[in-house]
This record gives sequence, structure tokens and C-alpha cells, in this order.
Amino acid sequence: MGGSMDSRLYFVLGDLASNILVGLVVGWLCSLIVGVGWHMFLTMILTMVIGMVVGMALWIPLGICFGSMEVMLPTMFGGMLSGMVVGMWATMTPLAGNEAIAIGAACGLIAMVIIWILNSSLRGIRSYEAEN
Amino acid sequence: MRWRPFKEELFNHMEGRVLFLALGTGLDIETFPPGKTITAIDISPKMLEVAQPRIASYEGEINAHVMDVHSLEFEDDSFDQIFTSCTFCSVPDPVGGLRSLRRVLKPGGELFMFEHTGSRYYPFKIMMDVMTQLTRRFGPEMNRTTVDNVLAAGYQLREVNNLFLDVVKTIKAVNPA
Repeated sequence: MGGSMDSRLYFVLGDLASNILVGLVVGWLCSLIVGVGWHMFLTMILTMVIGMVVGMALWIPLGICFGSMEVMLPTMFGGMLSGMVVGMWATMTPLAGNEAIAIGAACGLIAMVIIWILNSSLRGIRSYEAEN
Repeated sequence: MRWRPFKEELFNHMEGRVLFLALGTGLDIETFPPGKTITAIDISPKMLEVAQPRIASYEGEINAHVMDVHSLEFEDDSFDQIFTSCTFCSVPDPVGGLRSLRRVLKPGGELFMFEHTGSRYYPFKIMMDVMTQLTRRFGPEMNRTTVDNVLAAGYQLREVNNLFLDVVKTIKAVNPA
């Protein structure tokens, strides 16, 4: 098992753009919602849910362009990661909108890299001929 | 669009008496190899109506029938091969549907599937379970265990090819002789 991620440029750039977009939208939203001093753990849960919901919402238009499953899972994962990081950060210190957008975008990018690494280990053929 | 090369590769195996499940509006027809004689079914007459221009323009023969996979009207052992494409996320009784297909597949006949399934890995498993609560209202379930369903229906697995994580995959199986 194991193999390379889709190497077609359109989909590589599409995957990156989709995840960065979701990350920055989630980061921006969470910076608007979360206040300094909020309970960090509860805020983390809330903003992870927000991230997942935003990922689901943006999945529909982005999935049409770049592939349903290949967009859905990374954007939900990236949304959750962005929400978690920005949400927790915002409970500790005020975050300007552009800072939250940058952090969110970075989280989206990191999420995509994680997915690529996981995919490289899971993708590939498993044969059952010998077992049968 | 993203899956087209993988579908073309899978459908290139078409030989002999072929059954294609859930033709829908015929979007997959452009990935079929030319020159084949294919029997196709779909539960929706409206979908097959939309598919007619694509059926007519296929460089071969497609005989489309309105039919439910759970109550196939074909004789036993009618087909050499069966193909499915993103179908068993939506079939109400997936194991029952696969058993029904097995009845019409000759002993030693091949099952070729292009499907998306649930994932065994967290957090993807949780995300897909959550998504399924939404998507099952209008059709597909995101967390089906299709490989397990194929085994439960009595097929022998030949190959599983994970195309994206362990979610998008092709499955090749055989109806044991």
C-alpha cells in the first residue's frame, strides 16, 4: 500500500486553494465570535464545530470543482483545526482580523499537508488473490 | 471529473455479458470502452429518460431497463461481469442488493465497483458519521462499509485499490464457483 497523491496540477492547486480558503474563513469567523477570557476548552469545542460546519458548507461549491470526497474530508478537518487554533488563541489575546485570517489559512494548509501524508500511506492496491 | 481516469481504467475491464448498475443520467457512459454490449438498470425512469441521448451516442449497445437491484428480473447466471459506480452508498439494503447481483452473476463472474465508503480512521470516521446524518436525507450515506458488505454477500475479494485515503476506492471481487 502507499502511493502518491493526485499529481494533476488543477487538483493540487484546487486542494490547496480549498483548504486555505476554508481555514481563513473559519479563522476570521472565530476571531469575530470569541472574546478574551472565554473558557478555553468550551471555546475550543465550539470553534471546532464552527470549523466543521463551515467546511461542510463550502464543500458543496468546492467539491463540484475539485472532487466530492477529496474536498469534503480535508476542508472539514482543516476547518476544525483552524477553528480550534484561532478559537483557543482568541481566548488568550485579542486577535486582529488579518492575524486570524493568516493563522486560519496556515491551519488550512497544514491540514492539507497532513491529509497528503496520510493519503500517501493509505493509497494503493491491496491484493487478496493469495488469500483466496 | 477527478475520478474519470480511474473509472475509465476500471470500466476498461468490460468483457462479455455486462450488467451496469444504476446508470442514472448516463454520466458514466463517456468512460465506457467503445464497442461493448451492456445491460444497464436504474430504479428511476426519469433518470433513464435523461440518459437517452448519452445512450444513443455510445459507440456500442446499451440496453437500459427500469429495475430495482433488490428484485432483479434477470435469470440466474445471466452476466459475466457486473459494474457499479457510486451506487452502494445509496442502495437501501446494500448486502441484499449485492446478494441479488450475485444471483445473476455466473459462478466465477467478476464484480467491479467504484465506490466511496466510510473511513476506519479517526477523525475522518467521526466526520463521515456526522455528514451521513445530513446526506442520508437526500440520498447517499457517507459511512458505508462496502468492502465488508461485499464479503457479507458471499463474494471473494480480489483487490481493493484505495484512490483517496481509504474512502474512495475500487473493489474487484468474484462470485465463487
